[in-house]
Amino acid sequence: MSQTITIDPVTRLEGHGKITIQLNGQGEVEDAHFHVTQVRGFERFSEGRPFYEMPSLMARICGICPVSHLIASAKACEAIMSVRIPHTAAQLRRMMNLAQMVQSHALSFFYLASPDLLLGMDADPKVRNVLGLAAAKPELGRAGIALRRFGQSIIELLGEKRVHPGWVVPGGVTEPLSTEKRDKILAMIPEAYGNITLALGAYKKIAGTFKEEIEVFANFPSNYMSLINEDESIEFTDGALRLIDPKGNTIEDGITATRYSEVIGEAVEPYSYTKFAYYKPLGYPEGSYRVGPLARLNIVKHMSTPKAEKELAEFKQLASGLVESSFHYHRARLVEMLYGVERIEEILADSRILDKHVRATAGVNRLEGAGQAEAPRGVLHHHYKVDENGKMTWANLVIATGQNNMAMNLGVLQAAKHYVKKGKFTEGILNRVEAVVRTFDPCLSCSTHAFGQMPLAITLVSVEGEVLDKVVRG
Amino acid sequence: MNSDLTEPPHSEKANCLVLACGNTLRGDDGVGLRLADWAAERFRDDGHVRVVARQQWTPDLAADVATADSVLFVDSSVDSVPGRVSLVAVPSNRGSGEARSHHLEAHELLDLTRTLYGSMSVHAMLLTVGAASTELGESFSDPVEAAIPRARGVLEKAVLRFLSS
Repeated sequence: MSQTITIDPVTRLEGHGKITIQLNGQGEVEDAHFHVTQVRGFERFSEGRPFYEMPSLMARICGICPVSHLIASAKACEAIMSVRIPHTAAQLRRMMNLAQMVQSHALSFFYLASPDLLLGMDADPKVRNVLGLAAAKPELGRAGIALRRFGQSIIELLGEKRVHPGWVVPGGVTEPLSTEKRDKILAMIPEAYGNITLALGAYKKIAGTFKEEIEVFANFPSNYMSLINEDESIEFTDGALRLIDPKGNTIEDGITATRYSEVIGEAVEPYSYTKFAYYKPLGYPEGSYRVGPLARLNIVKHMSTPKAEKELAEFKQLASGLVESSFHYHRARLVEMLYGVERIEEILADSRILDKHVRATAGVNRLEGAGQAEAPRGVLHHHYKVDENGKMTWANLVIATGQNNMAMNLGVLQAAKHYVKKGKFTEGILNRVEAVVRTFDPCLSCSTHAFGQMPLAITLVSVEGEVLDKVVRG
Repeated sequence: MNSDLTEPPHSEKANCLVLACGNTLRGDDGVGLRLADWAAERFRDDGHVRVVARQQWTPDLAADVATADSVLFVDSSVDSVPGRVSLVAVPSNRGSGEARSHHLEAHELLDLTRTLYGSMSVHAMLLTVGAASTELGESFSDPVEAAIPRARGVLEKAVLRFLSS
């Protein structure tokens, strides 16, 4: 007799998801899937809108990483305009994207992951949350809140709003940075360093107690993709794509936004509204790859800032080759937060950061444009087509969570096979299966943007495995 | 809406923090934000009152609550009679029993503040307006629209009482 275990909803994620685990007659795990069960419609309802509205429209995809969508979208629009934005605007955008990364990673690490990490995977679910964390480790609770506020405050100082700022526009940004605001941001930096140092120290102390989880949390060879600078340092806002294979060899390099579709394909599966991105030359599913903090740190050779550089060197010592376990996404986030604060401090020291010229203007000079930027959870690709009047005729978005989708599913299967034995499981075991997904920090709101495009299959299966009914749409 | 209606974006000492939440795109759910707009205007020249409006009360707000002597939470309530205006003390240490990470109830935010910052002196009240409909839409139901003047009066008195205590 077969049996299906359903974890619904998967908690402590950005969005709504479900996991099903299929057991065979012996109670062993046969298959497992991570389902994204919500639908959005951004690609479709942007059609007909003026292209210059796209950044503010696309920012609404997400309340956690709207800045990355703003930037990728603005860059696609700038390709349509054929303009190059002023240096100061590029630096200010970079700062806002880093600020967003810090606040998003802080949310992921302190609010979503730390209850598992610091209270234990088997802790009572009633206390395994942010309130329980605050009670057990108040200093880390305060650090998490402070780092969230650090990032949010910078976004608000630059863009007037902490969520969905309309400040990033095609051609640059709407307002330059004032001396007063620069000084306010600089004043927040020492505390941010202190809080990240505290978190890194705490994480390093407890990471050794999760050897089993490290071993089976999506710990397998895969390809990785991220943006990278020409000098092989980490980059969140500009740069070009690099793809490496499981041995760390570069298989694609210098892929600019306009060429993303040469290397990235998207597959669909009937059990999820999120697409499955893959590297085209290898096909699907062999061409699956990972993005986000783990991918970025595996790909880059250095961080360009001294404190993060030291942490990167330690991070790369976690494995003899690439760092493959998705459990290490947590540590990668901390390293990136440290980099973010250092880089923001560097940007504020730029002699041109207070320049008033922060926007270039132009009309429609091309009928097609693409832009890419790193969101906290991985690289985003925005690709638009317009008519001669600048009205949107087509849009395609490839989102981080879609690019991690196959790895998340394989990771869920790997953990389920390890922990669920003879049909027996505990709440702590199911929490570990959920926790695999949490390591990726997926943004399900971002990933489900193709309403009306995805097939949906509902299958009714008897306990003997017989398909009793099936409805397929799309 | 995610905005600090009366102050710059950093925690600053306030004698009274008005902390509203809601969604203006979900009918009556937006009434808390409407009241926050009114409060920001009413107390615009009073440096002792800070008004913050959010779609949700998130854990980050504990740092704001910790800097205030008193907090007036303002929200809609789907559990109340539509249009009913209620002002109650916020209970503490109830224990949520749920794994929340993205939004908190008023009592949870208060508990979090006390746990993290030891702000035991915070006086807190919860002002709610009973919601009739939270379906998609930017207008209020008749009972909520009619209750707004009364809710403003209750809000004003509560803030003035906090300031004088």
